[in-house]
Amino acid sequence: MEEKNKIGVYICHCGSNISDYVDVEKVREEVAKIKHVSISKTTMFACADATQNEIVQDIQENDLDAIVVASCSPKLHLDTFKNVAERAGLNPYNYVQINIREQCSWAHSDKPVQATEKAIQLVKSGIARVGYSEALIKTKISAENVVVVIGAGVSGMRSAIELADLGSYVYLIEREYFVGGRVSQWGELFTTNETGKETISRLYNKLIEYKNITLFTGAEIISNTGTVGNFDIQVKIRPRYIKPGCKVDPEKLQRVIDACPVEVPDEFNFNLTTRKAIYKNFESEFPEIPAIDPDHCTRCGECEKLCDDIDLGQKDEFVNIKAGAIIINTGYDPYEPKTGEFGYKEIENVITLPQLKRLIELNGEELIYKNKRIQNIGYIYCVGSRQKDGENKYCSRYCCTSTIYTAIVIKNKFKDIHNFHFDKSIRTYGKLELLYREASENGDIFLQFWDEDPPVVSSNGNGTVVSIKDMLSSGKEIEVDCDLVVLVTGMVPRQDNKIADILKAPIGRDKFFNEIHPKLRPVETVIDGVLISGACQGPKNISESVKSSLSAASKANSLVKKGEIELKPTIAFIDKNACVWCDECVKACPFDAIIKVQSNGKNVAEIIEAKCKGGGMCLPVCPENAINLKGYTDNEMEAMITALAD
Amino acid sequence: MSKLNPKLVSELQCYGAKEFSACYNCGNCTAVCSLASENNEFPRKMIRLSTLGLENEIESSLEPWLCYYCGECSSTCPRQAEPGELMMSLRRYLTARYDWTGLSKRFYTSEIWELGAIFLLAAFILVMFIFFHGPMTTELTAESGVKLNTFAPWKTIEIGDWIMAALLGFFLLSNIFNMYLKVIVRNKNIKIPIKLYLTTLWDLAFNFATQWEFSKSENKTKIAGKQFNISPYWIMHWFLMSGYVLMLIMIMVFLGWFQTDNIYEWWHPQRLLGYYATFGLMAGLIYFFYNRIKKEQESGKHSHFSDWVFIVLLALTTITGILVHFFRIYGLPLPTYYMYVFHLMVLFPMLMIEVPFSKWSHLAYRPFAIYFAKVIKAAEKVNSKD
Ligand SMILES: Cc1cc2nc3c(=O)[nH]c(=O)nc-3n(C[C@H](O)[C@H](O)[C@H](O)COP(=O)(O)OP(=O)(O)OC[C@H]3O[C@@H](n4cnc5c(N)ncnc54)[C@H](O)[C@@H]3O)c2cc1C
Ligand code: SF4
Ligand code: SF4
Ligand code: SF4
Repeated sequence: MEEKNKIGVYICHCGSNISDYVDVEKVREEVAKIKHVSISKTTMFACADATQNEIVQDIQENDLDAIVVASCSPKLHLDTFKNVAERAGLNPYNYVQINIREQCSWAHSDKPVQATEKAIQLVKSGIARVGYSEALIKTKISAENVVVVIGAGVSGMRSAIELADLGSYVYLIEREYFVGGRVSQWGELFTTNETGKETISRLYNKLIEYKNITLFTGAEIISNTGTVGNFDIQVKIRPRYIKPGCKVDPEKLQRVIDACPVEVPDEFNFNLTTRKAIYKNFESEFPEIPAIDPDHCTRCGECEKLCDDIDLGQKDEFVNIKAGAIIINTGYDPYEPKTGEFGYKEIENVITLPQLKRLIELNGEELIYKNKRIQNIGYIYCVGSRQKDGENKYCSRYCCTSTIYTAIVIKNKFKDIHNFHFDKSIRTYGKLELLYREASENGDIFLQFWDEDPPVVSSNGNGTVVSIKDMLSSGKEIEVDCDLVVLVTGMVPRQDNKIADILKAPIGRDKFFNEIHPKLRPVETVIDGVLISGACQGPKNISESVKSSLSAASKANSLVKKGEIELKPTIAFIDKNACVWCDECVKACPFDAIIKVQSNGKNVAEIIEAKCKGGGMCLPVCPENAINLKGYTDNEMEAMITALAD
Repeated sequence: MSKLNPKLVSELQCYGAKEFSACYNCGNCTAVCSLASENNEFPRKMIRLSTLGLENEIESSLEPWLCYYCGECSSTCPRQAEPGELMMSLRRYLTARYDWTGLSKRFYTSEIWELGAIFLLAAFILVMFIFFHGPMTTELTAESGVKLNTFAPWKTIEIGDWIMAALLGFFLLSNIFNMYLKVIVRNKNIKIPIKLYLTTLWDLAFNFATQWEFSKSENKTKIAGKQFNISPYWIMHWFLMSGYVLMLIMIMVFLGWFQTDNIYEWWHPQRLLGYYATFGLMAGLIYFFYNRIKKEQESGKHSHFSDWVFIVLLALTTITGILVHFFRIYGLPLPTYYMYVFHLMVLFPMLMIEVPFSKWSHLAYRPFAIYFAKVIKAAEKVNSKD
């Protein structure tokens, strides 16, 4: 590496933020004595436009080969001065920022002499580091303008449409045989009163208009090799056993369904009913053609006898896709209460909110459950959410509103209904508050309980009773007769979450997918090119899910649309001569960015540039010290330490 | 353990409280109500009991009687749940609960029952007069008065008065006794030494006579720029009450002196007292009509059917009374007789319905509630000393 002998150093007053306590002139005098420093200046505000221009001029006129700015935290202005260097034609990695505000003047305002001394040492160490800095160039890789969207729930479908509009090619991959996800199960939805089916139909009809969206149903990703820009994805498509050209005739379909001898619990109705092996959850479901569930079908052939469009000979298909980015939209599962939790599965008229939603859809004029007409309904909130001791620590967000909304719907739809809400405190945030008000004005009764004193569901000879210590009457013990007890269950991550392993997508402590930064980078994951949105990221209602799915769509598109992706140069590199292939670094890397290659006739480790995040986990584990991090090389770090220790 | 009763909410709506389901228990009403104390979150507590339908707890509560509808709570409530109106409705509800005959509940919750009873009682008076009235002479007495005592001899009327008074007294007192059973006897937590009933008796008498608690209402009177710590509501209420009581005493106890055929000079006490009572009644009536029509004060914003029945009956009684007086003074025999019959046709149902079963009974329940509350408080003090 060529030695740097024309270093420019700038020491900032920061108005008086620094110069009140640090004697900046003295710092300048001290560093000016260093051999390779050819320019040293103090400045009132280093970040001011005029100063920036002055630095550019200095670099150009004096042909400086590196600069150091001693000012505030690099978090504030690292990029500012990198840009200054770039404008002057200097490689931005030949710039070092030293923080003498937070670390000197502010931290030691009671000891100005020592603060100045510390500033001198820090600036010296910066000069020492920059002496070893290397000019680094960002690498560029090609990127397919293709995005794979996993999950065709409301978020996935919305992402797909948006991406197609923005000009990307989209593969929408849905595990079930039908699109829509959870939303198609819910009937009327809060804030729009539209039904789930209507919402999904609207999206589906729009989706099929696009030539640049391919939808696979009954499909799952089984492997990925490849990285951002060039994911290499294999999809397995299970057979539907129905020929694609099938024109559905509802009457005939019913005959075929009747003929099927296999009857299994219907998960779409949360096991309230049963279905046949050949099924369609509701008439207007998409795609229009039915499906045969291969896990339960016995291949008896009864249906084939009645319909030519059925083909039990169909086999699994495999498709390979090259994609630039991936959006995970796999949604959530409703929490399944444990047996005995508030009488669930022990007392016969205890059900969950998702079951109630289905029950409303399945009933006509009257609300009937287990042959009994329902009038008094008790809702127990936060079941499986806000658990003090359990796994699900926080609020599921959607459920207060959904329960209150459902209670309103039930009251309007059926006669003589009384709703009793046993809650932990109602969280109908924002505009949703109006629903809470409507429900109370309807005469719904809200009884709040203490965390440590949850309501008790019991059955006496005549029926089911919920007992509660009512917070609002200072703990008075109240008994409420209920014909139906509804457990308001929260959202939990999908039980089958293999996709997380396949894509190495990070999972948080709550087991939902985890973003990089909840505020500033809410849909990106630490795996470049893998984005998350919708309820797979944590509890969300539909508006929130769709907002995040739109943001993921635009993020994905902006990543791949240029056809190439710039990568950060500050990544690890391995000295192949030193490497003895002990495998330690591979184990340490959380991103699978290290692979084994052959070099000069021996096995050595190599970094996959597109995968490495420059985290540096591999550095300390290497027994041969063969790994270095660009921009933070051993030489640079050691030079800093030596300068500080001087 | 108490059982929640979801039906009470709609029942209370019949008694007038339409909005209290909107309450979200913020407690603002309790923060502003002068009756609330550290361990009595009034009126929020009563709202909660009503929402949950805990009838026994409500039945044994005295608090609704201590509230004089200053309306602070209603104007402060962020949900417009009208807590003050619920307290008013609870007073009606309690009146119905104390009344063992069940009539009060019918009158409060059914317009047909209330109007039916009025017409029935009016018809009774009419029938009595048709069959038993004295000669309708058009001759005038020597002092040029109409011979009212020939048409309706005061002695006969007085007998009727007493029968009516006995009935009213019986119903009212038995209802008060029922109230006593519900708030004190059934309350197992409290033992009350007999002595206390006597030592607090003064409060009962004082409040009965003055209904003093009304004066504590937040609305103050301004006269000639000066602020007085007495509410106009109380003043008008007192006018009305004193006129009413005076009139009642004159017709119940001194009817022979009050209902004369002679016409005295204007300064004669018989006429002066009569005029005062009439003036008090009219002034009070006008104020209350105004309050209910203008709806400026919280207490006048909501009018239950029974409120209007009461005001209209009282107004009719007063106006017909005035007309009887003037027809007599101006020597118009037939109009006097007819008006007299009409007067009694309004007066009788008004007293029979309002005194034991409806609004007038509140005038008895309130002082008793204050009295019982004092007794309970004193007993708690004694008990805590033991
Ligand atoms: C009882 C109840 C009532 C609700 N009511 C309302 C309401 O009224 N209003 C409202 O705004 N919100 C409501 N919600 C919330 C709403 O359901 C969610 O916001 C919404 O479903 C989130 O959509 P999503 O697409 O992220 O997830 P999902 O709806 O769960 O869709 C995910 C999709 O991904 C598919 N999938 C999963 N794993 C894979 C895989 N590995 N490969 C391929 N595909 C996969 C699934 O099959 C599914 O189709 C309610 C929730 C519940 C539980
Ligand atoms: S939204 Fe309501 S019911 Fe759901 S977890 Fe949060 S507080 Fe509980
Ligand atoms: S102020 Fe209104 S909402 Fe608040 S507790 Fe009182 S009645 Fe309820
Ligand atoms: S009207 Fe006045 S006294 Fe009655 S509850 Fe409301 S604030 Fe209290």
